[in-house]
Amino acid sequence: MTYVALAYGFIWGAVLTYVLLVGRRVARIDAEIEDLRQRVKPGA
Amino acid sequence: MLSSMPSARKSNTAFVVGLLLVLHGFFVVTLLVANAPQEKTMGIVQKIFYFHVPCAWLLMLSTFVCAAGSLAYLFRGSERGDRLALCSAELGVLFGLCVLVTGPLWARAAWGVFWTWDVRLTSSLLLWLMLVAYGLARRYGGAGGRRLAAAMALFAATDVPLVYLSVNVWRTLHPTTRVVSSLAPGMRLPFFLSLAIFSGLWGVLLTLRMRVERAQSRLLELTIAIEDAEEKSP
Amino acid sequence: MARPSWVSQAARIAWKDLHIEGRSREVVYTMGFMAALVVLVFSFAFISGQEVTVGPDAIAGILWVAVLFSGTVALSRTFDRERENEAIRSLLLSPVPRSAIYAGKLAATAAIMLLVELLLLPLLAALFSAAIWPHALWLGLLLLLGTVGFASVGVIFSAALLRSRSRDALLGALLFPIVIPVLLAASRATATLLDPTVPDLDPAFFWTRFLAALDVVFVVVGLWSFEPVVMGE
Repeated sequence: MTYVALAYGFIWGAVLTYVLLVGRRVARIDAEIEDLRQRVKPGA
Repeated sequence: MLSSMPSARKSNTAFVVGLLLVLHGFFVVTLLVANAPQEKTMGIVQKIFYFHVPCAWLLMLSTFVCAAGSLAYLFRGSERGDRLALCSAELGVLFGLCVLVTGPLWARAAWGVFWTWDVRLTSSLLLWLMLVAYGLARRYGGAGGRRLAAAMALFAATDVPLVYLSVNVWRTLHPTTRVVSSLAPGMRLPFFLSLAIFSGLWGVLLTLRMRVERAQSRLLELTIAIEDAEEKSP
Repeated sequence: MARPSWVSQAARIAWKDLHIEGRSREVVYTMGFMAALVVLVFSFAFISGQEVTVGPDAIAGILWVAVLFSGTVALSRTFDRERENEAIRSLLLSPVPRSAIYAGKLAATAAIMLLVELLLLPLLAALFSAAIWPHALWLGLLLLLGTVGFASVGVIFSAALLRSRSRDALLGALLFPIVIPVLLAASRATATLLDPTVPDLDPAFFWTRFLAALDVVFVVVGLWSFEPVVMGE
């Protein structure tokens, strides 16, 4: 039984970790967008 | 121009919803799987089957999609194809890892060994390694990296039929593909439901990742455009 | 004047490479040295007492690992001359069909590799008392098929990494997962042929056919994908 739980738990863990990593990527992209917005504003 | 760029965060909420739906589905699946009849010889460990097989299917699907995207990129210069190849390769590595972990766990309980070098396991491991190499080629390949990776994806796709058919052609420890078509009635629903939900999860993750990738390349274009503009009018 | 045939164009490209290599013999020497060293290292690894005790399985494995490692040396040099003086651009500007360029490069690289590999067989016979003579021709065929399979993928990768700085580090690492089936089929067949105690040669027949099928698949994919991969350069 422990094997089944381990297997299933691993899949969940892996998928959630992946989503977390992608989420961090998204946060970084948003930060860069903000950064660019700041750069454009004074000029416009 | 900046304001028209889709915020990566807004589309996120849609995907969190989708993801939650899929996670909910997982719970449903767990209940169904728990209630499914137990297999005679292996007992409760056989339940890993409901997760292991969908992950294997997703590994093969990801490879094919990666190859398709690579084809579009190589022969038609499609940037979107290239992005598709990258994203599906990542998912292939993810779900391939799941297969390669759940498989040995099941094997340890059922056959007593974690690993054996039969065709099915070896070719699956190779397929996973090829997808990892795809990522390496893209990241560190330098000038020709993307094209090299795309070519690799084409070769990796030729491994997929080998992975799938190997159990039918050679006698190995691993169960044959006939297992799925001859499932006991009580097992069919949980299995196909699990397969459908995993596929749904794959689709959601792929779309999510594609959008992030598209945002990334648009961001790069914008950054370059802005820097060019800044240079011209100091 | 009639347009030269595809075959003659491929042959001309192969001949050009072989001719240049024939003068310096650089690849043959470096690859040959590497191959011999790999075999020697393995012989040291398997010494027990004064003798080297290795079965036909291991000898086959040693042979093909040596082919793999030394072949990578040859492959990283495949496009060396094209890299200098932007020769690749003039080659691509010519009306030669890209598939012919691929075939020519493949033929030349495979020929160079084969030359070295054929010298490996006697070395194995000497160091490990390998029984190469009963099926020498078949072993030669296996070397040919295995080399073509390996090089068919390697030429593509070598072309793609033409300008990459990390070419040497990456080429082997990226190539090996894809060519392991070739290695597997070739070494299984070789092991059967080297084993005097084996009841029949069925496994060798099977693996040889498997290897040939792999070669067909890889060469087709290679012919097909060479143009878009190299056009990016």
